[in-house]
Amino acid sequence: MATRQVRRSGLTMPVVTKRFVDNAWRRGCDYINLDLEDSVPPHLKAYARSLIKDAIPNVSKGGAAVYTRINHDYVLADLEAIVWPGLSRVNYPKAEYDSEIHRLDEIITRLERERGIRPGTVEIGANIETALGVANGDEIASASPRVKDFGGASGYDMSRDLGVEMFVGFDQFVYGKGELELIARTLGIEVRGAPFVANTTGSVSDGDHAFRQAEAARKCGFRLGGGLNPAVVEPQNRGFTPSEEDVRDAHWVLEQYRQLAGSGETWHEVNGRIIDRYEAARARDTLEWAELCAERNREKAEAVARVQAAMSQASV
Amino acid sequence: MSTKIRRSWLLVPISKADRLAQARQAHADVVVLDLVEFVTEEDKPAAREQVRTAINALQGCGAEVFAQVDPVLLYADLHACVWPGLTGAVISRLESSAQVVEADTLLSQLEDARGLLPGTLEMVAALETAQGNQVAYDISRASQRISGLTLGRADLIMDLRPEPSSEIHLMPYLMQRLITVAHATGVMPIGAWWRAPDRGLFATPEHTYQAARRGRAIGFQGSLCILDNQVESLNRGFTPDAEELQEAQHILAAYQAGTLQGAAAVKQDDRIIDRGTATQAQRLMALAEACARREQEKTEALSHPPLAIP
Repeated sequence: MATRQVRRSGLTMPVVTKRFVDNAWRRGCDYINLDLEDSVPPHLKAYARSLIKDAIPNVSKGGAAVYTRINHDYVLADLEAIVWPGLSRVNYPKAEYDSEIHRLDEIITRLERERGIRPGTVEIGANIETALGVANGDEIASASPRVKDFGGASGYDMSRDLGVEMFVGFDQFVYGKGELELIARTLGIEVRGAPFVANTTGSVSDGDHAFRQAEAARKCGFRLGGGLNPAVVEPQNRGFTPSEEDVRDAHWVLEQYRQLAGSGETWHEVNGRIIDRYEAARARDTLEWAELCAERNREKAEAVARVQAAMSQASV
Repeated sequence: MSTKIRRSWLLVPISKADRLAQARQAHADVVVLDLVEFVTEEDKPAAREQVRTAINALQGCGAEVFAQVDPVLLYADLHACVWPGLTGAVISRLESSAQVVEADTLLSQLEDARGLLPGTLEMVAALETAQGNQVAYDISRASQRISGLTLGRADLIMDLRPEPSSEIHLMPYLMQRLITVAHATGVMPIGAWWRAPDRGLFATPEHTYQAARRGRAIGFQGSLCILDNQVESLNRGFTPDAEELQEAQHILAAYQAGTLQGAAAVKQDDRIIDRGTATQAQRLMALAEACARREQEKTEALSHPPLAIP
């Protein structure tokens, strides 16, 4: 697998709300998801499309990658408006058939060629939000190499599709999420998912909850975050990054694992913990990920510093 | 439906002679001689040389003997393992029906070459990767020899880590999927419902017992384990307990009394007992009896002096 992308936090925002878009670069997100879909009213769709080309360099100047969420029913018009240099991904809601992904791929391929974008740059986020999408999950995820991660089968739309409450104290999506995760793992692509952490309030700005959720997700091996409110960005960045203690622990595990070499044993117990090649692999994974997170943090800090320097020069 | 009582499957590294001697006394229903998980790469060639002796050493202890082999090293591993006294092979990390067919063919050849009855060696498919679980149904139907499915060490191999709830991520889904496929194809679902901090088949005797009870409740019939002190927990956990038996007897008595009077269903306390309930109770009692017989068999076997190793 290629080097994992660091996408711990991301804000989804209506591209028509200027205040959100103009401040996006200050938020510290790993990505910004410009929305053309549910947060944009029908009469503003055309206007929203016209804003994307300029919004891409605007929201990414703090180092964030740029995604756009398009409308399920306006694929061609939306793609024509958004596939410009600087766009990393098209998020496609309510994916239900592989033919939809094939069509997206064809249009994106043409637009990349016409607009001087390196072929294959733009990823497709195939969001599974309906029972039909779950049932066709394997075909959808395999439909294009642009699908780099896969998951879903939870959230508002899925709740609506199944006719169930979204905020209950237990996991109501075990089956669908399991199906999609098994598909992603079989294809060797990143799993988009999270372990269940009860949230019965539905709050989108609870930083503590966001941190707990992100930390639990990371400890389960997940890497992808995102949200709707700036208050969850920093908690997600922090929760998805290994803590100093985790890094120290990983070094300790590797040290203990090295003790096994040449002993003829495949495992031993140290301080009540089993140390074997699986623990060693996890430790190496933690260290690699910590490294990637640190690099991503530097990248963003440098980008922000450049913007601030340019601004202070302009104001002199 | 398998009628064999195989509640505890004790994994023993072939390269460890002391563990083998202990395994004889461990009262496991099945001993699995391992060439995959607990034998280092360097030790494998020497370990293969020892399999025949190990199988002989376990004869007469009352446990069935399986060998765990690597599908990537299938030829070498099966050549080393197929000897009289072997009941079957646990094939780790199986990922396709083609691998099952390959193993089936090889087993047939080895049965001929080594004087075993054709078609008698069994296979247990360990589905420990995403790919293997994805095609579980195909794998389970790929050979008549398949007699069981297990997730083996999927938690480690797929790197599934504990959730805040202590459930091991994805396992509730994978377990139910495997159990459904196993029952659909008439083979034994082997596993237990482990929860953190248990990992990779390691757990205290008490946790192992709890995992076995939960596992039995969702349809598992026996589980792999690694430590000798887990065996008793598995044997007990997968055997109906006294309370369950008493309940089953009550149900049957009430049902029989009812049917004598021409009723299809009777009310006992606040429950309705019909043919389905009675059948279930009968099965539970049959399982308890079979478990008791199996225990006696092992005890008797161990009371005899070990056979001399040729």
